[in-house]
Amino acid sequence: MTTYPDIPVIETRRLVLRGPEVGDYPDFKATFASYRSRFMGGPLNGYEAWMLYAAEIGHWAVRGFGMWMIHDKETDETYGMAGGWFPAKWPEREIAWIIWPDKAGKGYALEATHAVRRHFYERQGWEAAVSYIDPKNLDSIRLAERLGCTKDHDAATIDGSDAVYRHPAPSAAASGQLRDGIELEIDHYCDPMFKPKGMPID
Amino acid sequence: MTLTQAPELETPRLILRGPEPQDIEPMIEFLLDKDRAGGFGAAANRGEAWRWFVLNVGHWHIHGYGYFTIEMKDTGKTAGITGIWNPEGWPEPELGWVVFDGFEGKGIAYEAAARARRYAYEDLSFDTLTSNIVPGNSRSIALAERLGASFEREYENIHMGHDLLYRHPGPDTTPDGDDDDGSVEAYA
Repeated sequence: MTTYPDIPVIETRRLVLRGPEVGDYPDFKATFASYRSRFMGGPLNGYEAWMLYAAEIGHWAVRGFGMWMIHDKETDETYGMAGGWFPAKWPEREIAWIIWPDKAGKGYALEATHAVRRHFYERQGWEAAVSYIDPKNLDSIRLAERLGCTKDHDAATIDGSDAVYRHPAPSAAASGQLRDGIELEIDHYCDPMFKPKGMPID
Repeated sequence: MTLTQAPELETPRLILRGPEPQDIEPMIEFLLDKDRAGGFGAAANRGEAWRWFVLNVGHWHIHGYGYFTIEMKDTGKTAGITGIWNPEGWPEPELGWVVFDGFEGKGIAYEAAARARRYAYEDLSFDTLTSNIVPGNSRSIALAERLGASFEREYENIHMGHDLLYRHPGPDTTPDGDDDDGSVEAYA
């Protein structure tokens, strides 16, 4: 596997985000074979999952950004993916995430997505971003709202079956109120004293 | 920066090189042409076609090989693709080829595929190669046979359905790939 020297590594409190590597594929494949992937075009057979993984890697080369693999900083175990996604059919650049089914509920998607959005806004000059979410995907809608997104009824959708959640603009995302709120929630996930209970949230 | 670390290969008339951004539109145009791309796997829409382009780039990164772009030496135009394809679920690594509209009947596919095969044997150390051809694709069957491949079996391809598997001559029995007499006859 040839790695891309130019995929930046992003570190957060508990996580390190790196480009997708060949060794990370089995976890990706297992998730896309599962019911968990039903809102992301799955479940996929082995051929389809492999082709999607190859596309994840190729997207980085062609677009200069893409989806990072989310690793545990201590153990290097993978938890899912988060990053940017902009294939030909997408009306706008998307911020996307997927967490492996057995790793949900620990705030990893929140922590990773908060970090990648900041990266796109502050390092790559993005001025806007959306997330395309299936209206039945309540966990993802909840995460989008925790990230400060609002439903944009006027924006173009991918194919009419998805809802568009617009991320706060860079200035709003950098504001104390929103950022502090997200970071406080992440703090709570990190501290066993405050682990949120009762909701299967990413 | 190039999209892949593919080597650049040469034949008398052609350059084989890794996929680059200028190949995206010709590739999409081909994949959306249901008549021409049927035997290869046509794309339902532009998004799917674009995705095929990027997953070929990813294929190069995962395997270290994939589909080359065939570029005409004289005009610099993109004439098609050829290379080695091996996604999950494939029976074996496959030698594949596609020639775009306007480049057929010139022996380009033969010249390109023979060079890609030699690359697989000499540079990647493959000891055998197959080509998967959908039943009825007589042009591809004719080219496979001209390349010295012979029909081995029918099987169910995970993506293409009922499919024919042709096996190429091995590294020791394969001609060096340059069209021996330099002629430009049509391959089908």
